[in-house]
Amino acid sequence: MQAESQSPSSVKKVVVHLRATGDAPILKQAKFKIPGTDKFAKVIDFLRRQLHRETLFVYVNSAFSPNPDELVIDLYNVSCRIFINFSYYIVFFIMAMDKCLLYWVI
Amino acid sequence: MGTKEEARGTLSSTDFGVAASAFILSWNTICSSFPPWTWVLSHHQVEGYLSLENILLSSTQEEHGELSCPGPGKHSHQEDPIDVDDATLVHTNPCKVHYCDLHIIYCNSYRVPVLYFRAYDSDGEPLGFDEIEKDLPAYSKKALSDSKWTFITQEEHPYLNRPWYKLHPCGTSEWMKLLFHADDALAKTGVTIELYLVAWLSVVGHVVGLRIPLEMMKQL
Repeated sequence: MQAESQSPSSVKKVVVHLRATGDAPILKQAKFKIPGTDKFAKVIDFLRRQLHRETLFVYVNSAFSPNPDELVIDLYNVSCRIFINFSYYIVFFIMAMDKCLLYWVI
Repeated sequence: MGTKEEARGTLSSTDFGVAASAFILSWNTICSSFPPWTWVLSHHQVEGYLSLENILLSSTQEEHGELSCPGPGKHSHQEDPIDVDDATLVHTNPCKVHYCDLHIIYCNSYRVPVLYFRAYDSDGEPLGFDEIEKDLPAYSKKALSDSKWTFITQEEHPYLNRPWYKLHPCGTSEWMKLLFHADDALAKTGVTIELYLVAWLSVVGHVVGLRIPLEMMKQL
């Protein structure tokens, strides 16, 4: 009912392709149709749940990492295609850091 | 960008200068109503760094803690540049107003750009990171707590010799490499030097709540 009251453009669906890179496993289903009004954060959360990983590097069209608050439709309008790449990002540099300099260790 | 540098996700210092000029031009054209990035020369006049200063960082404002660019809607030729001084925009609640300065400095040892930042209130009093964090949007806090590469240390600014917060560059070349070579199927030739900083800032900006206008991503 709510969808009916919205303008057609606001419920436009966008096809996103999810591509694993690096060590991340390939998803069984790699193509999804999602509402353009969804935030990119929703895609990130979906990937986190699917992969059971909190730390993911998620980026679009092998070019940039969008702000999680961006709408999917706006990302689509940038390049008319959305290939979402995701990768486990394993940091092995931590040991190399000078711990004396650390004020904020996450 | 040399092939070897590109393959490593790094940048030479000369290329950093090239990337910085392209970035300044692109940002200041697209975000003409946002404070401009400028190139600051070191006192030796041989090296320099990118600087964006006096940006509003306060969760009490409409931006909700985001250092947001108003986007391409406004153009400088439509308004008097004197009016576009963001530093004088908000006086309603002075005790809550926080400002942030961002510098992008080339790191010779990691061969990547590094983000330095500091924040201060309307009296010029510097803010600790716990106070800065309160002003950041939720996704920045999440990025800081989730991602191991988002180490923030307080170190001496290489040119100003004062303590600034610094996002450690240890992971930068790794994720830049991913951005360059993730997808051969797209037949991408890799991010060119001119676009290196836009791609880089799209990732780094998350940590300090700097939202890059999507208009800039059209170049990528």
